[in-house]
Amino acid sequence: MITVDNLNKRFGDLHVLRDVSTQINKGDVVSIIGPSGCGKSTFLRCLNLLEQPDSGTILVNGQDITAPGANIASIRQKMNMVFQSFNLFSHLTVLENLTVGPIKLKGIAPTVAHEKASELLRLVGLGDKGHHFPDELSGGQKQRVAIARCLAMEPEVILFDEPTSALDPTMVREVLSVIRRLAKDGMTMLIVTHEMDFARDVSNRVFYMDSGGIHEDGTPEQIFLNPQRERTRAFINRTRSLSFTIVDRNFDFYGMNAEIEGFCERQILSKRFRQNLLLLVEELVLVHQPLLTHGPLTLRIEHAERSNQLEVICEQSGLDLDPLVGDHLPDEFGVMIIRSLVQSIDHRHESGQSRLTLVVRSMAPPENGSCTVVNCY
Amino acid sequence: MRHRICALLAVVSSAAILAACSRVAPIITSVNDAETARMGVMTGTTGETIAMTRFPKADLKHFDDIVDAIGALKAGQLDAVLTGYPAALQSTKRNRDLTLVQENLSTENTSIGIRKGNTELLTQVDRILSGLKADGTLADMSRRWLKADLSPYEEVDIRLPSAGTPLRVGVSATREPFNFVDAAGRITGHDAELSRRIGEKLGRPVEFQNMKFTALIPALQTGKIDIIITGMSATPERAKKIDFTQRYYELHQVLLVRSAVAVEASETSFGAKLVESFEINILKEHRYLLLFEGLKNTILISIFSAVLGTLLGALVCFLRMSRTALLRTPANVFIDVLRGTPVLVLLMLIFYVVFASVDVSPVAVSVVAFGLNFAAYSAEIFRSGIEGVDKGQTEAGISMGFTRTQTFLNIVLPQMIQRVLPVYKGEFISLVKMTSVVGYIAVHDLTKASDIIRSRTFDAFFPLVMVAVLYFMVSWLFIRLLSLIELKTDPKRRRQGRIAS
Repeated sequence: MITVDNLNKRFGDLHVLRDVSTQINKGDVVSIIGPSGCGKSTFLRCLNLLEQPDSGTILVNGQDITAPGANIASIRQKMNMVFQSFNLFSHLTVLENLTVGPIKLKGIAPTVAHEKASELLRLVGLGDKGHHFPDELSGGQKQRVAIARCLAMEPEVILFDEPTSALDPTMVREVLSVIRRLAKDGMTMLIVTHEMDFARDVSNRVFYMDSGGIHEDGTPEQIFLNPQRERTRAFINRTRSLSFTIVDRNFDFYGMNAEIEGFCERQILSKRFRQNLLLLVEELVLVHQPLLTHGPLTLRIEHAERSNQLEVICEQSGLDLDPLVGDHLPDEFGVMIIRSLVQSIDHRHESGQSRLTLVVRSMAPPENGSCTVVNCY
Repeated sequence: MRHRICALLAVVSSAAILAACSRVAPIITSVNDAETARMGVMTGTTGETIAMTRFPKADLKHFDDIVDAIGALKAGQLDAVLTGYPAALQSTKRNRDLTLVQENLSTENTSIGIRKGNTELLTQVDRILSGLKADGTLADMSRRWLKADLSPYEEVDIRLPSAGTPLRVGVSATREPFNFVDAAGRITGHDAELSRRIGEKLGRPVEFQNMKFTALIPALQTGKIDIIITGMSATPERAKKIDFTQRYYELHQVLLVRSAVAVEASETSFGAKLVESFEINILKEHRYLLLFEGLKNTILISIFSAVLGTLLGALVCFLRMSRTALLRTPANVFIDVLRGTPVLVLLMLIFYVVFASVDVSPVAVSVVAFGLNFAAYSAEIFRSGIEGVDKGQTEAGISMGFTRTQTFLNIVLPQMIQRVLPVYKGEFISLVKMTSVVGYIAVHDLTKASDIIRSRTFDAFFPLVMVAVLYFMVSWLFIRLLSLIELKTDPKRRRQGRIAS
């Protein structure tokens, strides 16, 4: 139904869309997710030429709408849009908002258009608001009117540009239920959204967009439960990370601690979490110190907001042994403390690189005498 | 807060009034008393030159019209007015508290002005004047028009040809008894009769063009008029610009001052005085007809300028908002230039320069000038109105399938109108008031009507207040009318009407 081929869009120096290609079939409900500024909205707006793409083609029902002379106005009638800021016509009543398009563009008789509009208003649960003006409605009601206004034009595709982002949390649900209902009725829709749960259960396809392209395209199950690509996973898990590279003994340990504390504050980690993390990092640095001759150590802290899981990953190239086992350890205490602070430890070698992944405990370390040792540090 | 400001204003203004009153006005009985007087002179007249040489220490105030100067003299803002004898005499007849200093300050030749190079007309008129002098007609005219008392003028009927090229005579009809407007709204007086006599002898109909005295010479130079016959002195300065015929009247400049003898306090009440003023300024000689005519022109000019200005403003606004610099730049220049120049200057430029050699109605010129001026302002009002409509409205319209034009007409325009009407209303009212300067190019508007009345009655106060009231009423009516449109276009009002019906 819609075929996009090598779409490019630049805003000055900013290359927002890079060679985007995809195909959307009739009846598809596509959720488009991704970090802010990744080009989701621009992509949607390019589809009905609210933004003029710099290059590439968009075929709608086999017709190239980017070609010069294409009757874009008539194509837009079939591909209507719902905006984040509703954009209801403020000088018209709700009913007139719904009828202005059909009457002026499709030449439908006013009485017929009114009847149809009233029916659509009932469909979105606003049958009694026909004579109100947009500024007399709540945000959620406005957005439902905007959806009804779209439907009044009997479009084949509806583009939703963050339809719930400007709404109070209490009003999000009423708008989402209307969209759910449309999905059930088989309407083809593209929805840019930040509502992950909604995207997961309403759509049959999810685009994860990142750095100007569709980074991953799959079913909701694939994208949300088993993302294939690293960035998708990080986004789905809402992972934030912090990393340091330690080359030799002259490393600024206090500077690193301060940064870690700042990171914990931003991520709103509990006090216990933070203590465990700081202690763990300190021990890990001590354990790794004799091994620095093999190569620099990269220490990465990752926090997945969704699962509240905190990981410390130590990577060192040129090292072919498990840093927590071996003769280089000055004593057993270090490893003991490390084990008491983590839930799990995983070590593997990959292409000449040692990778140690530790999942930090959010609880106090188990009572096995190590508490006294902790206090010493 | 507002009360405090009002109180402050009241205190300041009463202090100013007291200060003005406390100044002891000198009593002038001879020319020598006037050395340091506050003296009113008429711009561009010989009186002005004489005052500067004869009274170098005097505080000169320059007026366009003798009536304004007399008003200032009566109000105590001037101690003397230097003007020609006939005008001064006329003023004393109408104002018993004014008197003349019986000393001639100068003797000048009052002559007829003709464009340089038009020697044919000059010789013709000179020959006619010689004839009129020789057969005693001029002397007879002086007897009938230049009277020392208030007895009525005696006008003789002169038959003028109805066909032929009209002789366009430039006059300043606030110069009784040379030129003034009579009860029927006709230009009459000594010089009007002279003009008609010249027309008669030339075999041409006479067409008077009534304008400000200072505007006469430019009008003659640019060919708007053929001849100036309005008690103008042939000064060397003027003779550089236009040619003069021989003298037809010998003019003396004199000083007009407040009477030293206190006028007996009038017994009449304020109400009676008001009735008397009304009688003299409005009813006598059907002067209300002058006001109606003026009112009509003021309203006509206002409405047509507003219509022209609005249409042109919409066009300029469209160009101004264009994406191509080729269209945008001229619109910007238009707006900047027209907002940066006084509308009076624009009016005179259009009349004397642009339409110099075209015979065009001054009313039309006024409409063009004010239309252009209004266009510059309305263009910016419209632009701010359009830009004030949220971009999302346009996007919604476009994404629904409207073309850009359809979106503008159906979505943006109705919202814009609602938005700009309050500002537009104010701009329109200031246009109505600005039209009061059209008298400069001989349009008979409301202000000009009051000038004409004041030049006959020498009453500075009543006609001015009355014109102020009339302007207020016109403005108020227009405001009501535009407010009605504002209500009509208010979507919420519309809905109430619909539900009610």
